[in-house]
Amino acid sequence: MKRTLPLLLILALVVVFAYLFATKGVISAPTELRPLGKFYLEKCMIGGDFAAGSPEAVTSILWDYRGLDTLFETSVFFLAIIGSLMLFSFKVKEVVREQELTLVVRSVTKIAAVMILAVSASIALHGHLTPGGGFQGGSALAVAPLLVLVAFSRKILETSGLSLKRAIVIRSLGLMGILLTALLPLTLGGYIMQNLPIFPKYIADQLTSGSLIFYNVFEYLAVGAGFTAVFLLISIPEKNFVEEEK
Amino acid sequence: MEESLRPSGGKKAMIHLVILAISVLIGLVFSYLAITERDLLKAVGFSAIQAVAYAIAFYLLMAPDIVLAYVAISVGIYSALLIFLIRKTGRYEV
Repeated sequence: MKRTLPLLLILALVVVFAYLFATKGVISAPTELRPLGKFYLEKCMIGGDFAAGSPEAVTSILWDYRGLDTLFETSVFFLAIIGSLMLFSFKVKEVVREQELTLVVRSVTKIAAVMILAVSASIALHGHLTPGGGFQGGSALAVAPLLVLVAFSRKILETSGLSLKRAIVIRSLGLMGILLTALLPLTLGGYIMQNLPIFPKYIADQLTSGSLIFYNVFEYLAVGAGFTAVFLLISIPEKNFVEEEK
Repeated sequence: MEESLRPSGGKKAMIHLVILAISVLIGLVFSYLAITERDLLKAVGFSAIQAVAYAIAFYLLMAPDIVLAYVAISVGIYSALLIFLIRKTGRYEV
């Protein structure tokens, strides 16, 4: 309760300022269009249901035109993570107290971790509008728990709710989301990984570019949690491994 | 017509090229230092500086998507992975 009031206040301030900036036109996009930009905009954004419906050419190619490539790339990445999870299938001794870094490092980490979370969410959720996307945002997201892991300890990460099991669950949920988004058009009479007529281009008047935002969000969760799981395992000192009885 | 197709001509492009050359040169120097350094922790630091220099180069080459992934992975995740590895093995190269 002590913390929720300032947090709510900050949230309200951010929303109000964002609304004012957006509506009063303090920040405005350039009005002139370069020829190359026009070409890509015509191919990716305008063009009805055959385009990706996103002004961002890279994300359009990654998750729409060459979507299957990215799907298999993602599966290769997750097979690698499954492999490293399997390598670390030891039993781990409980550690009572781990060493923490100095107060300066811990305070800086507290601030930086929150900022990294915000930036990574912005990279992933704006992936269909600006450069960035699920993988970029997810790998930035993984840096935040990594910093906490180094500056504080494993224990703090686990007691504050990010245990190894939960990281693996979030990773699996992200993967399931990607798979379901890829397979959903099949059930509605479309092709696999089809984008535009199946998924809405606008949700509540906001450009969401059909399935691109769903892929980005799920990939964001899956990559961030996957890297975090690997780091939670790799940060265990060897002396804490217990030989499993056969 | 040909002039207008260029994103930025004249002096502006020249400045871009100079910054690009400097950042790539910094990357080259620090990758050399990272290879020859015997203290592996220092080598990880050098490699992180090289990664920052390359990130600037990628940005100047108009690849912002690469920059976002490259900075997070090569400065954060890759360095941390190597530091964990150094803790598990030895600090100095034999």
